[in-house]
Amino acid sequence: MEYIQGIIILIGINLIAVLGLSILTGFTGLFSFGHGGFMAIGAYVCAIFVARLHQPFALAILAGALSAGLVSVVIGRLTLKLKGDYFCIATMGFGEAVRIILNNVNYVGGARGWESLPKLTTVWLTLALDLVFVVVTWNIINSRQGRNMVAAREEELAAQMAGIDVFKSKMIALVISAVFAGVAGALMAQYMQFLRPTMFNMTKSTDLTIMVIFGGLGSISGSILGTILLVSLPELFRDFAQWRLVFYGLAVIVIMVGRPQGLMGGLELTPSGIRRAVAARSARRELAAADKAEAAE
Amino acid sequence: MSGADPRPGAAQAVPVLELRGLTKRFGGLAAVNDVSFAIREGGISGLIGPNGAGKTTIFNLITGVYKVSAGSILFKGSPITDLEPYRIADLGVTRTFQNIRLFKNLSARDNVLTACHMSARYGLAEAILRLPRYRREEKALAVKADGLLEIMGLADRADLTANNLPYGLQRRLEITRALALDPTLLLLDEPAAGMNPDETEQLMLLISDIRKRFGLSVLVIEHHMDLIMGVCEHIHVLNFGCSLADGDPAVVAGDPKVVEAYLGQEDER
Amino acid sequence: MAQFLQQLVNGISIGSIYALMAVGYSLVYSIMNFSNFAHGSVIMLGAYFGYFCLTLLGLPFGLAFFLAACGTALVAVVIERLAYKPLRDRKAPFLYFIITAMGMSIFIDNGVIATIGPTPKIFPLARLPEFIRGGTIKLGVVEVGRVDVAMFVITVICLVALIFFIDYTRVGKAIQATAYNMKASALMGINTSFIIILVFAIGGALAGVAGVLYGIKYQVYPQMSGITMKSFIAAVFGGLGSLPGALLGSLLLALIETFVSGYLSTQLRDIFSFLILIAMLVIRPSGIMGKSMEDKA
Repeated sequence: MEYIQGIIILIGINLIAVLGLSILTGFTGLFSFGHGGFMAIGAYVCAIFVARLHQPFALAILAGALSAGLVSVVIGRLTLKLKGDYFCIATMGFGEAVRIILNNVNYVGGARGWESLPKLTTVWLTLALDLVFVVVTWNIINSRQGRNMVAAREEELAAQMAGIDVFKSKMIALVISAVFAGVAGALMAQYMQFLRPTMFNMTKSTDLTIMVIFGGLGSISGSILGTILLVSLPELFRDFAQWRLVFYGLAVIVIMVGRPQGLMGGLELTPSGIRRAVAARSARRELAAADKAEAAE
Repeated sequence: MSGADPRPGAAQAVPVLELRGLTKRFGGLAAVNDVSFAIREGGISGLIGPNGAGKTTIFNLITGVYKVSAGSILFKGSPITDLEPYRIADLGVTRTFQNIRLFKNLSARDNVLTACHMSARYGLAEAILRLPRYRREEKALAVKADGLLEIMGLADRADLTANNLPYGLQRRLEITRALALDPTLLLLDEPAAGMNPDETEQLMLLISDIRKRFGLSVLVIEHHMDLIMGVCEHIHVLNFGCSLADGDPAVVAGDPKVVEAYLGQEDER
Repeated sequence: MAQFLQQLVNGISIGSIYALMAVGYSLVYSIMNFSNFAHGSVIMLGAYFGYFCLTLLGLPFGLAFFLAACGTALVAVVIERLAYKPLRDRKAPFLYFIITAMGMSIFIDNGVIATIGPTPKIFPLARLPEFIRGGTIKLGVVEVGRVDVAMFVITVICLVALIFFIDYTRVGKAIQATAYNMKASALMGINTSFIIILVFAIGGALAGVAGVLYGIKYQVYPQMSGITMKSFIAAVFGGLGSLPGALLGSLLLALIETFVSGYLSTQLRDIFSFLILIAMLVIRPSGIMGKSMEDKA
């Protein structure tokens, strides 16, 4: 039972980070390979608040999230004007820099790690927070701010011509995603009970991005599905520990090459989402039929 | 608008858009060279010229996509030179693109709804908490977007992804999206490109109708001479980045320099 | 003074191996405009190929070296055909290439762990020719490892050959043309598909050489691709897509690193490299030698 609970907590924690990244990557179109860095900031700040300053867990989570958010403002100011590829590389550099700096801070255990932290993260807390974050994400995406982000993803120039401050939209998305990652990191610290900088390396950052893509860019339900599948499957196949990452890599390639739209392909698993998908499909069919009729004339 | 207007009152009317000595150089090459003209409020003006004359560059300068090398741009009398593009759009200048730039993966409705964002004032926190102002304003935005789609004859295709719309309707949707900003000045970059004479005719009617209904000024780049002659009250001709002629359609069409510029281009082909 | 010269020599030695790796990133970037993160894994495979040719097959060193280079060239081309070509065919955004490359890297690295195992291998000294075996040579006041001298010489030979090939042969000129403008080159009758294969083959072969040399100097292990991140930074530093940039960037980065670890501290070295990366991206994203980007026009 504890094993199942463990998997649920892991899914729940990752889900929060993935939802944030879904806003940044799926809806705003910015790819990051450095969100492990924001998770690390959330995790270490939270652990400092809990273990060193003896503050309540809620305050510690808040502090972790805010720290990650503040750092993201600085990173955003520096890098958001960069063109796509270079933004990626810069976030990667940021993530690695955080990890390497942590390696050298003995106050939090350095490279050897920081052990015997209190266990404060529970299943119920995680699930409750998941619910909150799903609703928050949903509400953000369905607001004018959320639509501005999508516009920035779709066609930056046209977005500007529609009066959208694209830089600001990207900044909002980045800060939200960093705050989410910070919360996830905080929960992770108080669940694992130990911290080590390698937990937040580039592989972790890539994993998060892959979950978003696997579920389908621009779909919240896709991000949820992607997280559940990609976190739980390797856990269930623990016996094949050495092969699971091989299949993981293979799955990423196959998805990218074979089904780039991911599981959900930008659609949502809600009544209105399904209705819209059906409506669009039938409208497309009608159009095709009309075209054919025209061609026949 | 050829020649000076003798009445003192009319001379004082501030043009909705005025270019003064506008110049843009790429490297050493002047794509736009010392171009000056003005657009009267509420009119439809045309910007014509052979390929490479610098028409789209002028649009890019007006909308802030390119930085101006020299000269200035005034919108309703105040300079907008080198403002951020979104600020210029905020002020009421917007455009369509020669190679349509829709939010391709969004539905037609969401394309328009996105551009309506300036009619709402609620903040992100209000959206996250779904406070009353969010609900009220979102409802108003939806009504506005649906209304525009209705006027533009896109209501029955509102749920289609922009990508899946036929070409002509994509152009129409782009104009609809521009109208969602409640612009004062609308710049249309070759709106009839790729259209057959029938569709062009319809477009002409549409442009006149929009102008009247929304009370805006229009500046249009076009190659279809019949469209230009049909709707424009004032034309500015460019050639190799320089002003060639300016005035009434009939006068401009008879100008030997203009005829030569166009014939010269035919020869190159 | 002696210490300064010693650091200088060490820096040049490390810089030469960075350069050999960085060229692979830059070549692919110049043609395809994406950062091929699978390159590091190909370098790692090169080290294993060399090791096994030498130990398992008992081949002479020269032949093992040659076969390792051929092997990695083949692997690089196969990766291109299987993973990148389908993406190119459907004109996928560059991010899909990056993610696919990362998936490929995860797949290869963990594939090696699962089949060969995670324990590092050490090149058998007895099977190496004398010029590359351990020991040092005294050059005035500085001592240089033979491995380092051999590494430097082989790198210089490879890079001179590469530059000669690209600058003075017809095919080389075709590569330059394709890098400049792929569409126009295709219209001018250049077989761009062949050029892409060729570029991957060259990058792969150099990766093999680099892998073997690096393996000899240190060890052969599955996570070697992590080290190659440094050479990627060097490529960005010098300007992605520029060959002289990759060389200059490698040399500068290696010198900065050796001097930082020599005069300040070893821990600071890695932080420094990533901070340089971020600073470079912020100040001049196109790197020292890269074409500066004209936006939107």
